[in-house]
Amino acid sequence: MLIITRKLGERITIGDDIVVSLLDIKGGQVRIGIDAPKHVSIHREEIYDKIRSENRVSASVDAADLRRAATILNRHCEQTSRSCHSDQGDQFENTND
Amino acid sequence: MINLKIQTTRFGPVSIEADKIFDMPQGMPGFPGRQRFVLLPHRENSPFCWYQSTQEPALAFVITNPLWFKPDYHVELAAMLKELSWEADIVTDCLKLYVIVNIPPGAPEKMTANLIGPLLLNCRRYQAVQMLMADSPYSHRQPLLSH
Repeated sequence: MLIITRKLGERITIGDDIVVSLLDIKGGQVRIGIDAPKHVSIHREEIYDKIRSENRVSASVDAADLRRAATILNRHCEQTSRSCHSDQGDQFENTND
Repeated sequence: MINLKIQTTRFGPVSIEADKIFDMPQGMPGFPGRQRFVLLPHRENSPFCWYQSTQEPALAFVITNPLWFKPDYHVELAAMLKELSWEADIVTDCLKLYVIVNIPPGAPEKMTANLIGPLLLNCRRYQAVQMLMADSPYSHRQPLLSH
């Protein structure tokens, strides 16, 4: 890891098009500004980690489990008189063989 | 209209329309390089859809409209739409928000939805993005069945 000491208001450049600015230091907190191109995603690490691990577990849902889930939900919605049928997907539908 | 045949682990070969593939330039955390997906309807009367990768046969997410189980679900879109230059698309009714559903193996009654990482789909541009919501009041494991 590269370690750099910077003063308030100074910047760091990464590659050609990323600039990191040190905006403010107060107590134990540092405010950082980042200029980067659109395709570079910038996130707080703890949020990124949480969503990454949730994406990973969600990627392996079994088709039979989903069929059962849909049945359970439909029954649940009938019992609670809630509508579970949304119009989602209408504009996107692909025709499957 | 050009049809493509893609391979999927769950559904076998599936025919899709080439211009209905969603491009995700930023991808999804955990799946680098997987940037192209299609929506496959689940079955009649199902609130779910599959969001299937066209690049990896085994990769598919279950997604759903969050509003039927969480009617007050609110996502602040303005900054994201500006960043993506999608502001004009909001009036064309081409933006759809979905959440990813996790179903633990063999325990469908324990299904949850990730409300801090919704998918925003743009059906005019056929682009999509997974939003990562910082400082959100929502859970990444919201149960779908309320008791």
